[in-house]
Amino acid sequence: MSTDKRFLRSWLTRPDKAAYLFLLPSALILSVFVIVPVIATLGISLMNMDVFLKKADFAGLDHFRQLADDERFWNALKNTAYFAVIEVPLQVFASLLAAVYVAKNTKFRKFLRSVYFLPAICSFTAIGIAWSFLLDPQTGLYTEYLYNLGFPRIGFLRDPVWAMPTVILMTVWKTFGYTMMLLVAGLQNIPNSYYEAAEIDGAGSFRKFVGITIPMLIPALSFTVITTTIGALQVFDQVFVMTQGGPLNKTETVVAYIYNVGFSMAPYDLGYASAISVALFVIILILTLSMNRYFTNKETSM
Amino acid sequence: MAKQWTWGKIASAASILVLFVIVIHPMSWLFVSNFKTEADLLRFPPSFFPRDGFTFANFREVWERIPLLDFFKNTVIFAVGVTVLSVLFDSMAGYAFARLKFKGNKWMFTAVLITMMIPFQVMMIPLFVEVYKLGILNTYWGLILPRASSAFGIFLMRSFFVSLPKDLEESGRIDGLNEFQIYWKLMLPLCRSGMVTLGIYLLMNNWNDLLYPLMMTSSAEMRTLSAGLVMFVGQRSIEYGPTLAATTVSLLPLLLIYMFAQKYFVQGIATSGLKG
Repeated sequence: MSTDKRFLRSWLTRPDKAAYLFLLPSALILSVFVIVPVIATLGISLMNMDVFLKKADFAGLDHFRQLADDERFWNALKNTAYFAVIEVPLQVFASLLAAVYVAKNTKFRKFLRSVYFLPAICSFTAIGIAWSFLLDPQTGLYTEYLYNLGFPRIGFLRDPVWAMPTVILMTVWKTFGYTMMLLVAGLQNIPNSYYEAAEIDGAGSFRKFVGITIPMLIPALSFTVITTTIGALQVFDQVFVMTQGGPLNKTETVVAYIYNVGFSMAPYDLGYASAISVALFVIILILTLSMNRYFTNKETSM
Repeated sequence: MAKQWTWGKIASAASILVLFVIVIHPMSWLFVSNFKTEADLLRFPPSFFPRDGFTFANFREVWERIPLLDFFKNTVIFAVGVTVLSVLFDSMAGYAFARLKFKGNKWMFTAVLITMMIPFQVMMIPLFVEVYKLGILNTYWGLILPRASSAFGIFLMRSFFVSLPKDLEESGRIDGLNEFQIYWKLMLPLCRSGMVTLGIYLLMNNWNDLLYPLMMTSSAEMRTLSAGLVMFVGQRSIEYGPTLAATTVSLLPLLLIYMFAQKYFVQGIATSGLKG
């Protein structure tokens, strides 16, 4: 016991050794619960394994061959792409519009900012439940409003054509405040003197926006676009709450499919679910790297 | 110069106002509907305001319809447990990276940055297997331990410690404090706002998380608010009124904290933007 204490004391009085003690808890947790699982995903994707962990044998590349012929996987990938291609531009546009207006630190604008951010602190579960009620085909208040505007009285979340656009709009509604805050931080970093110089040159507000705001905002904007895209490729919560992937799997995304394969559909195939995870990871990695490259080129060319 | 109303200004002000209504309307509907009777909620055609008057029945009934108290308790234990442990461990690691010279500092921090980029979905299945093998699936430890440190937290705390004045530690060393005392008594109190920022970031994300607690819990008694409410709504087993009341109860804690500590919610996001 006393040798333990002496040992600890000798380490704690030397910064170069104490550092390892400071790092120990985090290093342990991150290794066991992040690094090992990431590597293990690759391993499990090559194995036959179910959720009860009763059997585990080598499957080779079988799961990846299965993936190529799995129509439901391609459907999920298509749905995810549909979601990302529409959702990301809408969200970035809405948050940019809001950010430009509320970036100045006046009382009224600060108030607007905190209101726009409100949905972002709520869970998708709560927001999803509220929106499903609002869009109910019979008792939904918004179904009624839309009917009065000339839309048909349909269940927007139960219609194969309308379900995905509805999920997309609701996602934009919930998350644009979050990206708006990122962009506001970027806008506030632009020195005011740039605008003053442009005003002396007689530039109007549109020319100032295109000539100063957008180029100066590229770093924040690129971060926003990349993180929003990564988030869109991982979409799960809102689909799980509002449509469970339906109707007719029209809103089943890749992550929802991973969850279904591994945890909610017999035979609870963890090996196959891991193979889909690996595929998703590769897609995210390639997209992130190429977008990063595109934006870095943009930044240096400006 | 007098203020001039150009068409552009009017258009942008109008769209900002429309956006305001779009954000606030569903939120107020949720708030008002909590106090509607079941008949009001099911009435056709629906209306924004109640016609039968206001009632507190939904908030009385919801506790009997679903194990909301259990959900609430589980969410508090999970989210607060993760927050406390992670802020402590992340600040220790961030401190080491920021202020201490040691072998391996550079590559270990690079490893942290890479870890930060890995999406949860990529590792969730082996994580599930691991937690199961450790025998802590469907327990509080199984929920808390895998999240007890976060790469983003280390990154964030490091950036706070780096900005403290140089050689601050020397006075502590001269006073005969050991390295842990220097961190705990001298440096950590100066990073209080960093700890609050990270704490709120972690609290919000874990409180609202769905997929992770859904995987890590299997019995109704262990479900968090997000995961538990989804199950009950999916089954459509309870009435509209109590469902809305449960939803509101699940939102209230974060909304209350948001009212008093708004800037910390935003600070975490602004910092996450830095890493890009």
